[in-house]
Amino acid sequence: MDFLLYFLAKGLEISSPIAFAALGGVYSERAGVVNIALEGIMGVTALTLVWGAITFQSVWVGLLVAVLTGVLVSLIHAVVTITFRVDHVVSGVAINVFGIGLSRFLCQSFFGAETQSKINPFLFPKLLGVNSLAFWLIPAVLLAWFVLYKTVFGLRLRSVGENPEAADTLGVNVIAMRYAGVLISGALCGIASATLFADKWITGMVAGRGFIALAAVIFGRWDPLGAVLASLLFGYADTFRIIFESRIPIPSQFVQMFPYVLAVVVLAGIVGRSRAPAWDGKNYEKGED
Amino acid sequence: MSGSRRRFSSHLVLSQAAPFIGFLASMVVLVAIVIFMRESPVKAVEAVYKFALSNAARLGAVLSISIPYYLSGLSIAIAFRAGVFNIGNEGQYFVGGLTGALAGIYLPMPAPLHIPVVVIAAMLGGALWALVPAVLKAARGISEVITTIMFNNIGLALVNYLINGPLSGMAKGVSLEPQTRKILPTALFGKLNGFFRSLGWKVPDYVYLDYSLVVAIVMGAVIWFLLFRTRQGFEIRAVGTSTDVSRYAGIKVQRVQVGAFLMSGAIAGLIGLQEIFAIRGFYTYNIASGLGFDGIAISLIAQNHPVGVVFSSLLFGFLKQAGYGLQLSTKVPNSVTYAIQGLMILFIVAINAVVVRAVRSMRRKELG
Repeated sequence: MDFLLYFLAKGLEISSPIAFAALGGVYSERAGVVNIALEGIMGVTALTLVWGAITFQSVWVGLLVAVLTGVLVSLIHAVVTITFRVDHVVSGVAINVFGIGLSRFLCQSFFGAETQSKINPFLFPKLLGVNSLAFWLIPAVLLAWFVLYKTVFGLRLRSVGENPEAADTLGVNVIAMRYAGVLISGALCGIASATLFADKWITGMVAGRGFIALAAVIFGRWDPLGAVLASLLFGYADTFRIIFESRIPIPSQFVQMFPYVLAVVVLAGIVGRSRAPAWDGKNYEKGED
Repeated sequence: MSGSRRRFSSHLVLSQAAPFIGFLASMVVLVAIVIFMRESPVKAVEAVYKFALSNAARLGAVLSISIPYYLSGLSIAIAFRAGVFNIGNEGQYFVGGLTGALAGIYLPMPAPLHIPVVVIAAMLGGALWALVPAVLKAARGISEVITTIMFNNIGLALVNYLINGPLSGMAKGVSLEPQTRKILPTALFGKLNGFFRSLGWKVPDYVYLDYSLVVAIVMGAVIWFLLFRTRQGFEIRAVGTSTDVSRYAGIKVQRVQVGAFLMSGAIAGLIGLQEIFAIRGFYTYNIASGLGFDGIAISLIAQNHPVGVVFSSLLFGFLKQAGYGLQLSTKVPNSVTYAIQGLMILFIVAINAVVVRAVRSMRRKELG
């Protein structure tokens, strides 16, 4: 019984970086902006979290710093895609490259080493033996569902991702709503990285979670609940792997590739039944300029 | 027609300006970082010059580094031209490098035959690793951006397994680095340094200017010819410009995209050849990684043109050497070059978007 509880809690902890990032992806893509920069943003926020926590001797301030840097870096994506109307994937790829350099550069400036930070002794309180921040996932997904489906803001956000022309005609500020979607995704990347390992930053520690989160968004049909459930699928599959790896008689590399194979199989299986917001990834030009 | 062409050419000049302005803007940021780190910009420029440009050996090193960059950029360019985002060339070159190495290890044959065979084997391996994402995109409409990223991770794990397991050629106790057996001498890439010296360029022997340079030049020429001188190339460019228009014009969009995707994978398979066949002489998991992602930037800066990629890959080769120079002679860490590369793409694409719109409105005014 104890083991089951531990497995459930541990699985939630391992799923939550993917799930928070996926929630961010839902906000952004529902507003019509594809954000493949999630990976790069998380790499930067994971570093600023550790820096903030050590500098201000509080992990909560660290979290605040991480959220703010997430918003700042995602602002670049917003400006480039929404204001300059550049292809979203191009901008996302560039920010991922930029993020690797920026986080290493900041690490060098803050801690005097390029690939890892100092140990951060200020950690989030534990609940059931895991990072308590992981449990924030439950209110976060409920909030996302409420915001997207039950508020005027959510309706407007979805309308600019679905049909910006119509939304514009009805007086919705398309640009502002798209900015909001992208910036919220940046803030959620900050929280996502805080549920990773808050005790130390190592280069490459995000390790593809931002990309898995994108697959979770598609698998979850651009719905907050669906995206989080898909993230839990990936997260628990990974937890299973970590706990049972030593007992499974197959080479560890096959176990490592399992979540990615799962993602491809899942995508191949469900697409066709999963539809993106109609204007997802497309830029909106008001009239002719 | 001739009148509109003349006007068009002045717009063309303007639209070609974006890469230069973007490059300059990112260099301004670099100088700002140097000053911010309380280093003298003059010292930094000296370090960069000394390390990347000062003599034949340094210039040769820049050219040498640019070879895999060129192949990576070319791989991305052909896919981009067909409207395909092949973010998977990272995994494709790890797999292609391995299949090439296997042909070099296990297929004994005379040298003049062996080298083309390993090149083709590497291309097949790269294309193979692009096959599933290509088919999933064409048949089920699944974004290749996600599937290729997944295939990168799958490919890296698979290669890691193979060289630790069934294909391991490591003599026990000799080296800790998992690797294949040694590649047969007939398949190894010789150097062209002697040839360059006979032309008067005093590039020393330790710089790797090997047959992979020939491979890169041949591939560049083939892709240029394909894109701009054949019907298939026209279809690729048409699909990349507008899938809807192409479909109305009777082009089989999906078939064209799968073809370009596989070609992109095949060229990606060649990225690792220099390191495997000229530098190491065996295959390992530790061949340079990240070259695939660099190719995206390189291709974008060149606006996905096979000739432009020559210049942008040389630029990246220069930046890499410059980064080493900065790291050694100043407090500026090497990682800054990554941040600068990312910024450079953002500057270029943003400036390009502005220019394209300005040109469009200028033309609209001219037409009245």
